[in-house]
Amino acid sequence: MLLYEFEGKKLFKSCGINIPESQLIESANEAITIKVPLVLKAQVLSGKRAQYGGIVKVVDQSKLKESALALFGSSVNGEKVEKILVEEEISKEDDEYYLSFSYSTETRGPVMSFGEGGTGAESHFAGASRDKGEYIHSVDILTGYQGENVPKELKDAAIKLWEVFIKYDCELAEINPLVVTKDGKIMALDAKVILDDDANFRREEKFPERNLFGRPPTNSEIEARKIDEGDHRGTSGSVYWDLDGDIAVIAAGGGGSVVNMDALVALGGKPANYTEHSGNPPREKLKKLTEIVLSKPGLKGCWFVGGTANFTDIYETLMGFVDGLRIVKFKGPIVIRRGGPNDKKAFEELKIIGEKEGFDFHIYGRETPMTATAKTMVDLAYGK
Amino acid sequence: MSILVTQNTKVLVQGITGKEGSKVALQMKNYGTKVLAGVTPGKGAQEVHGVPVYNTIAEALENHPGINTSLISVPNFAVFGAIKEAIEAKIPLINVFTEHVPISDTARAIALTKKAGVRLVGPSSMGIISPGVGKVGQIGGEDPRGVFSKGNVGVISKSGGMSSEVSWILTKNGIGQSTVIGIGGDILEGSTFTDLMEDFEKDSQTTAVVIFGEIGGTYEEEAAEMIKYGRFTKKVVAFISGLFAESLPQGTKLGHAGAIVYGDKGSYKSKINSLKDAGVIIAKTPDEIPQLLK
Repeated sequence: MLLYEFEGKKLFKSCGINIPESQLIESANEAITIKVPLVLKAQVLSGKRAQYGGIVKVVDQSKLKESALALFGSSVNGEKVEKILVEEEISKEDDEYYLSFSYSTETRGPVMSFGEGGTGAESHFAGASRDKGEYIHSVDILTGYQGENVPKELKDAAIKLWEVFIKYDCELAEINPLVVTKDGKIMALDAKVILDDDANFRREEKFPERNLFGRPPTNSEIEARKIDEGDHRGTSGSVYWDLDGDIAVIAAGGGGSVVNMDALVALGGKPANYTEHSGNPPREKLKKLTEIVLSKPGLKGCWFVGGTANFTDIYETLMGFVDGLRIVKFKGPIVIRRGGPNDKKAFEELKIIGEKEGFDFHIYGRETPMTATAKTMVDLAYGK
Repeated sequence: MSILVTQNTKVLVQGITGKEGSKVALQMKNYGTKVLAGVTPGKGAQEVHGVPVYNTIAEALENHPGINTSLISVPNFAVFGAIKEAIEAKIPLINVFTEHVPISDTARAIALTKKAGVRLVGPSSMGIISPGVGKVGQIGGEDPRGVFSKGNVGVISKSGGMSSEVSWILTKNGIGQSTVIGIGGDILEGSTFTDLMEDFEKDSQTTAVVIFGEIGGTYEEEAAEMIKYGRFTKKVVAFISGLFAESLPQGTKLGHAGAIVYGDKGSYKSKINSLKDAGVIIAKTPDEIPQLLK
């Protein structure tokens, strides 16, 4: 989970990293206690915040409310501003540094990145590889980071950032810029933290759902995620995104789902959603997911697709799909391609159900290439 | 000879009394794999599908010194402890089935296995199968026989489902497999394409390798580099998925945890270009793979 700046800074502060005096406001009517000159910082998740007008300096107290109002009414890179972090303006030395800890697939462990900071600095590091070795240093996770590869005066801050990184199970803990204030303090002026969701079970701090697409989550997204809550038998719905298209997709497997989406989009199919289920989820989970996926108006088809499962019961999952279909009574073309345990039994039953209950099933087993059924789906949906 | 799973493979299941653990123990036995023991702390002195259960690995090893492979199927919060115990017991091959292992735990486990000189495959690994010889993990499910067949092509896949799908496509076209490995799709993995390609390079049974890769990370690029510099000399056909995911806002989580792109690093284009540059044949759909292997 990507944190907002104010959330990241709270974690920084808890480990002793200096941050500016600040106040979080959710409306321009709130009394601001920070004195001018100050900075209004829109709390949005998209990068390039400054470039899109998300950071406003205020020098004149009489202009403060007006500036806050304007920022609240605006969007930053398509993301509506709902919270503003008001911060004292820091007078600092000219040098700005970039400092972060993250995991590298090249070293298969943590790395520390350090260099010149400021706007655009992340791109040195995000795209960096071996040839940028001068910026990126491997850290031995067994001994921990002990202040290597940064100037002496930044050592303490770097060790504290490592503490944040490990204590809160981060995928990324980044300060850009890290500055030296006129009175000699090392201070983090911004915070970018990505938490490892897989470690949620041992992190006490909880953070609310956020708007990843620059919009609040849709009802379907909220409902879909509830399916897996408190029920660890397989997954079905914890990954669900609404998209703009008109072909409903219920895909199986974290790998196969993406392969199939690639194929559908390449053929001009417009998916109405992305969702994947895996790990042998029970029948009722598929029923709920199907209801959500097919609740959209204007759908032109439904594609239930997956590869050859290792242990997901195809009969159970497809019967769950049918249970959902019966409730929403979807009458468009339904293309099914699946293989795995109990697939033959499932297909026999589906044929009977389709004829009896009037579903327009097009059923394919493992003998038909998975991605070939993308074409069948596109042709049926768009009447080609 | 196949790689990793051979006639000599003797398996311990950590978490054998759990739902998945007991199921996979039976599956492996039914496929002819020697499953010597299971471990669940506090649940020793019972049997699961005829396999004796012990409280600790040390106890299991005392009674079954031949154990050389451990399959870990325990809840995510217990995975690191389980790996550590297996490393301390010097089990040379550790395969982790569990998904959603915290990345720092995986990083620690990788560091420890490197130090100890033991092999880690996973987390989130569907398993390893050498068709006709044996399997470790859920790969192939209850009956791998129809999908997997013995032959000369090695398969390395980030996706468990796609490792079966690709093997099925090969089998359907009369191409058997030497060993098929689901390495897992997390950001950090104990064994990557290059680790296993080293084994396949030495394996006389294997004449070609299929790679199923995804966007995110650098494992595909590393494979390309290995091939480019002649450290892997057998034929390679690769399939890379995830182009669709790149059309979504950066940071969107879907598919596997590792399938996430920031900037250009780990992008579809970067992977395809480096593989092509190394002379690897790229399959546009999984179904093209058999033809491209010929």
